Amino acid sequence: MSSVKEVGVILGGPQGSGLETSMNVLARALASRGYWLIADREYYSNITGRHSYIHMLVSSDKQPRSLRYPVEVIAAMDAETIFTHFLDISERGVLLYDTYVSSKTLSEVASMEEHVKSRIEKNIQRLGLEPDVKSILKHLSEDKHISAIGIDYSKVLKNLSEKYNINARFLSRYLSGLIVSAVALILGIEDESVKEAFQQYFKEKTIIAEQNFAIYEMLRKQLEEYIGLVKLDPPAPRHSKIMVASGNDVVAMGKIVAGVRYQSYYPITPAADESFLLEKHSDILSKYKQPIGSLIVLQTEDEISAITSAIGASLTGVRSSTSTSGPGFDLMIEGISWAGMNETPVVITYYQRGGPSTGQPTRGAQSDLFNAVFAGHGEFSRIVLSSGDHIEAFYDTIMSFNLAEKFQVPVIHLLDKFLANSLATMDIPSLKDVLVERGYISKGGTGYKRFSLNSLISPRAPLGSEETVMWYTGDEHDEYGHICEDPEIRVKMYSKRIEKDKIILESIPLDYKFTLYGGSDFEYLLLGWGSVKGVALDAVDKLREKGLKVSYLNIKLLWPFPTLEFRDIVKSIPEDRLIAVEHSYGVNIASLIRQTTGININKKISKYTGRPITLSELLISLDKIISKETNRVVFTYGE
Amino acid sequence: MVSKWNYKSDLWIDWCPGCGNFGIHSALIKALEDLGLNPSKTVIVSGIGCSGKIAHFVNVNGVHTLHGRAIPFAMGIKIANPELEVIVHGGDGDLLGIGAGHFVALGRRNIDITVILHNNNVYGLTKGQASPTLPLGVKTKALYWPNIHERVNPVLLALASGYTFVARGYAMDTNHLRELIKKAIMHKGAAFIDVLQPCVTFNDIYTMEFYKKRIYKLEDDPNFDPIVRKDEETLPKYLKAVEKSLEWGDRIPIGIFYINENVSTFEERLSERSTGYKEIPPAKSIIEEGKPIIDQETFESMFKEFIVNVKKHQINK
Repeated sequence: MSSVKEVGVILGGPQGSGLETSMNVLARALASRGYWLIADREYYSNITGRHSYIHMLVSSDKQPRSLRYPVEVIAAMDAETIFTHFLDISERGVLLYDTYVSSKTLSEVASMEEHVKSRIEKNIQRLGLEPDVKSILKHLSEDKHISAIGIDYSKVLKNLSEKYNINARFLSRYLSGLIVSAVALILGIEDESVKEAFQQYFKEKTIIAEQNFAIYEMLRKQLEEYIGLVKLDPPAPRHSKIMVASGNDVVAMGKIVAGVRYQSYYPITPAADESFLLEKHSDILSKYKQPIGSLIVLQTEDEISAITSAIGASLTGVRSSTSTSGPGFDLMIEGISWAGMNETPVVITYYQRGGPSTGQPTRGAQSDLFNAVFAGHGEFSRIVLSSGDHIEAFYDTIMSFNLAEKFQVPVIHLLDKFLANSLATMDIPSLKDVLVERGYISKGGTGYKRFSLNSLISPRAPLGSEETVMWYTGDEHDEYGHICEDPEIRVKMYSKRIEKDKIILESIPLDYKFTLYGGSDFEYLLLGWGSVKGVALDAVDKLREKGLKVSYLNIKLLWPFPTLEFRDIVKSIPEDRLIAVEHSYGVNIASLIRQTTGININKKISKYTGRPITLSELLISLDKIISKETNRVVFTYGE
Repeated sequence: MVSKWNYKSDLWIDWCPGCGNFGIHSALIKALEDLGLNPSKTVIVSGIGCSGKIAHFVNVNGVHTLHGRAIPFAMGIKIANPELEVIVHGGDGDLLGIGAGHFVALGRRNIDITVILHNNNVYGLTKGQASPTLPLGVKTKALYWPNIHERVNPVLLALASGYTFVARGYAMDTNHLRELIKKAIMHKGAAFIDVLQPCVTFNDIYTMEFYKKRIYKLEDDPNFDPIVRKDEETLPKYLKAVEKSLEWGDRIPIGIFYINENVSTFEERLSERSTGYKEIPPAKSIIEEGKPIIDQETFESMFKEFIVNVKKHQINK
């Protein structure tokens, strides 16, 4: 078999069986071999038992930006994975499975939701198969020429337990290593890379790394004839060190680089992992050689306390932030309006998930655009920024703190579950261009006016400044911060807090408002924000290869909306050649654009299953829209 | 001792004439004078309602926050800058109704903050609705029906939540309250004072006459000592405080119910996980304009778990 440029991989199994570990180890092994990858983690809101899977794309020559079906390799921990994904394996692909499940029938899969089961049953019937693993395996090998490679998982684990004298109760913990090993062998990843990946992931637990590598060695003998069955091209040259991290991870790193000193949070998916990483570094900050102070990461009693304590910390001059998802953000809104009223910088990292209410806690969405932009009573300036990929998220995190302090406003950094929980390879961020901008910090003094009307941006002195007293209040107030209901003061103060929008728009550089990809010669413009960037750029590349002049506009500054620049960039094409894409029902960016620019976008691509838009979905929808078959396409693929 | 600072703000105080808040205000001012607290290092954090306005009526830093949220604002301020003396003022609706979760959480954390409850049994500023401290079946003149909720006992709740200084004062006995406030401020850990406060406009039940007849001082009982001095005294003194907190009726105790400085403060607990906290708390961190806060080498070493070395033959030379 000749080698290929890219390989799609799915690792599937019950939630709680170590798939996230498999993803992390396999990603490190591939990265150390020099490959690029992206891996999306799909899981139920459940601790153990429900079906979860990792959907990965590995490339030998460039950073993958989107996911696609079918995939070349599926590694199944259980029968449910085979039933759920057997249609997702490409012809001549590979299915790795446990020989123990060969006799399983669909009705035996108790953890599968009834709706899913009946849909899968229909697919099985349509193909004229029996609803059991055996029949599916036969179909895959005979009709699709897929190599279905059975491994007796329990035998492998038993051998391991004999070798290391491991208690049988703990053997299931090694399933993740078995999956990593089997896939690495199929992909022909060298021993050394796999070994180091285990070592790096398990760190000081060297014995665990050793035992996992022993599984790899056992399987190497067993799978000898299949080694390199799906072989990737030798990787293109790249830097000597690369980063493998999730969106949550890079945001946490960005916060540390930005100098966050107070982070509050209330546990919520998919935001909590960010605070977890920050928490881990709350002591390391003091241990490092520079006297850079302490970072307090605090789990509060609720999201109200998270935002209000972060605002309290900010009043003392500290860079502070909180991190949440939709339900938590809803609880924070009164606090955000207080921050707006009191010209207080604070950063809210907002990872969207499927709503409304509890919605789909572990699934992705971009349906909270309006919530981020319009939440809060009364009118006040705020900044809403979105990030299109991991690297953007890192730098935007730092930018968020700068903007919050420069303009003394709440900054909402709007991300989503797709980015938060997906793992990607990337170049290590360079800190040499990172700038800290703190804005107007006053020393205060006798007669200090926190809300002076002399300038649009008020003189901000931290609480505790020498010889200084100040007042803050959620009521309308005078320059000292005392309650004041005088209509003239009201007009001055109220408009001051809103008119900051103007200088925000003037000060933020164009590349922090939006970026055009694909070229300025476009005849069609696809536009969106946040995590649709990757799939949009891949679609643009494919369409340009076909000679279609499509570009993508990645909108970063969602509020205040860059009306003038937006009008300028789209003026070369008629409105009916603008196409918006978003993980929501409404494709709400189109409404926001219409409100702020008067430009009417009626071509919309939408997906709100909670699963990411795939490249083929986007290509199909663009084709339908460009050929004028329809104005709106809604997609649903993916389990 | 004559303080070098004038704590009285020159704003006109807009509480009703005869309001219990005046008593709390003057006790607070006197306590600040006695302690000589530096106004620029002192912060009054208040909630919403009549009591919330007190932040404006004292010449120290004032943060007038949201309904029920004075405690978490204060927590952020105190944790970020432990050098500040932080005093929370809130009403009974504020601290024990909408903000009850934060009230409990502060006790659990034992942060070195003083909480002063202006307890008048009603929501004054919205015209006298029943508050969480109004007993079941009581009908004040502003209520159409008698109160349908049972009361919460602030002192008992504070004890249950873990406050390490728990007291009750009376707004009209300013000298007694002044001493309580001083002790609460000096206390190491979370301090709580439940201040019984007549509302002359909306509460015709819990009036000055009502309290005058019933109030007695715990310190007048020579057998009652609320201070935990040794670990083994913790349980008996706590139980005694609980018992005293249940006294409500013909005789209502004011004074200190419980003091225990043997419990670790939140600041101490934070220092264990962030060893630089005492030396350089968040507000003392220097974050300079223009300069990156950490260098590339530190960054890569901090996050080495995310950095993979690419095998040599693949490296771009």
